Amino acid sequence: MSAAEHKLKQVMGDVFAVTPDSIDDSASVDTVEKWDSLNHLTLVLALEEAFNVSFTEEQIVEMLNYPLLKAVLEENGVSFD
Amino acid sequence: MGVTADLEDPVTTASARLAKESTYSAYAAASNALDQEPAPGRKALKIGVLRNFTFEPVLPVLRGETATAGLHPLVHIGDFDAIAADALDPNSPLARFGADIFVLAVWLEPLAPLLVNRFASLSPDQIAAETARVVDFLRNVVAGIRQYSASPVLINNFPLPTRRALGILDAQIAESQTGAVLELNAQIRKLRDSFPNVFVVDYMTLFARLGADAIDERSWRSSRSPIGRRAVVAAGQEYGKYIRALAGRSRKCIVLDCDNTLWGGIIGEDGMAGIQLGETPAGSSYAAFQQELLGLYDRGILLALCSKNNEADVLEVFAKHPGMVLRDEHVVARRVNWEDKATNLEAIATELNIGLDSLVFVDDSPFECNLVRERLPQVEVIQLIGDPATYATQIEARGLFDSLVASREDKVRTALYKADAQRRELQSGSGSLEDYLKGLHMVAEVGRPNEATIQRVAQLTQKTNQFNLTTRRYTEDDIRRLEESGSAEVLYLRLRDKVADLGIIGVAITRYEGTVAEIDTLLLSCRALGRGAEQALVGEILRDARSRGATEIRASYIPTAKNAQVREFYDQLGFSLVESSDGVRRYHASPSHLDVRALFIDIQRQKSSK
Repeated sequence: MSAAEHKLKQVMGDVFAVTPDSIDDSASVDTVEKWDSLNHLTLVLALEEAFNVSFTEEQIVEMLNYPLLKAVLEENGVSFD
Repeated sequence: MGVTADLEDPVTTASARLAKESTYSAYAAASNALDQEPAPGRKALKIGVLRNFTFEPVLPVLRGETATAGLHPLVHIGDFDAIAADALDPNSPLARFGADIFVLAVWLEPLAPLLVNRFASLSPDQIAAETARVVDFLRNVVAGIRQYSASPVLINNFPLPTRRALGILDAQIAESQTGAVLELNAQIRKLRDSFPNVFVVDYMTLFARLGADAIDERSWRSSRSPIGRRAVVAAGQEYGKYIRALAGRSRKCIVLDCDNTLWGGIIGEDGMAGIQLGETPAGSSYAAFQQELLGLYDRGILLALCSKNNEADVLEVFAKHPGMVLRDEHVVARRVNWEDKATNLEAIATELNIGLDSLVFVDDSPFECNLVRERLPQVEVIQLIGDPATYATQIEARGLFDSLVASREDKVRTALYKADAQRRELQSGSGSLEDYLKGLHMVAEVGRPNEATIQRVAQLTQKTNQFNLTTRRYTEDDIRRLEESGSAEVLYLRLRDKVADLGIIGVAITRYEGTVAEIDTLLLSCRALGRGAEQALVGEILRDARSRGATEIRASYIPTAKNAQVREFYDQLGFSLVESSDGVRRYHASPSHLDVRALFIDIQRQKSSK
């Protein structure tokens, strides 16, 4: 697991009160219990701080599952290699 | 990994992570940990939020900060933009929640869109009318809350506009947009003159400090959430300062490492000429940091030293180094030796007769900081990192010493504690305790507070934790009302001896109903314990009760985490225990049959100044 992936899972774990290891490609708004619209705001702020990036409004509405979160972070220059 | 009972307290779990890391992610995790019932014996703090913007992103930080203040947060957040309903209806869910503290979070744009978006189109009259309308609204909201609750209200003021409607012209004219916001902010501060227990959260300076992009335009548009990534942690921490101050958790003493903290380099190796301090590029940062510490000293915060060094080396720097801002007279206690720092911190707390939870430990060494965090979790640890030029900010930003009241006693605190240490030295050197107390020639002035002393009286009710029988917190206005009610008697006690004037160190409040006198509040500052001032105060209460014709006097002890030492205080004085449940002990006595007096204190009763 890359450092970025580790960090992403850590932040999601913090925000959604789950263990980071339980996060995989299937994690989404539909499968993670605490992933509601308010916690989505929390997630956005926590990721922006952790990765020192700034998402656009468009990115924020589309990043609703784990693969899309990775994709959006990559668009902002984060490498998952 | 073993799980102990202590670890199951959500407050402990949340604070442990935050002690090491104050990222937003860590606050989110702490907040989740707090998402359950308070552990048995852990005090809860009910926070009621009224807001006209999306305040939710701040909540994890607010909750985490409450936990680090030792309280379990329970938050009720009012419906979006339902401030008026929440405040004005005494049956609203918020009113029924019974908040211990209210957060009134207001953003200017929804209140007065014209002032924000169409400012250049407004006439001076329209500006004045809009401003007055906003102030009236806020005044009504606070008045509404006051109909059902006397709890503290934290209301924010408004950030100054970052993009001024009139550009550079704004600074030239009287009716400017910046001026309108400044006027609003002045009026918000004035709410304090009309309502007790209202405190202003200064968004104006907070957002100015955080910079132009602190207000998140993007999430303001998309989710009415103006406090974005650059401001969310700082904003929540700002509220934390108020919670700590109101809960009486402000720290009293800062314990400082020396090498690479007060100066650059290591005195034992580099010598007087080698350390960095004073008028050099590297040394000036340390001098500036000492200046910040001197500012804390001026505010009444105690400065102490805890350093692994030869004591003589450190003393020499304090006495002789030309770059030193701090001098020996500013230091109330020091442990300069080779013992471990946790042991030394305990010794400092004992010497000053304050709790470990009054200490803040400052060091650049991760080893020392971690050792103290592990061994003494009650001590707040600040590990200085990076450029020494930022040390001052690293201390100030935490607001650990912030208080919501200021008084003369604070400013002379170090002198008082030093005199106290001297006294204890006298004590250990000279015969019996009685001889010692007799030799102090103590005089107690007892009377009713006037305008000059009422602030100190209120402050004592808010800050005293150990010798406090009921731990009821009162504001200045509460005290004033009690005084004016005629059915209560507020007494202060001021103590001086041949070494120093200790100032006002005791407060008693007695309520009268018919022929029954009830001791509502009895407290003594910890720096005056063990000298008989408590007996002096009770003696005066009894005297008043007799002269007012009371035939029965009631008293109670209400337990808290800190006041176990006075659990049997009334038993010792000869009161009869009539009831004891849930730790609360109720007593009664007959004023004419009880004789309580201080043996070695000469009491001077002041004539009422009213």
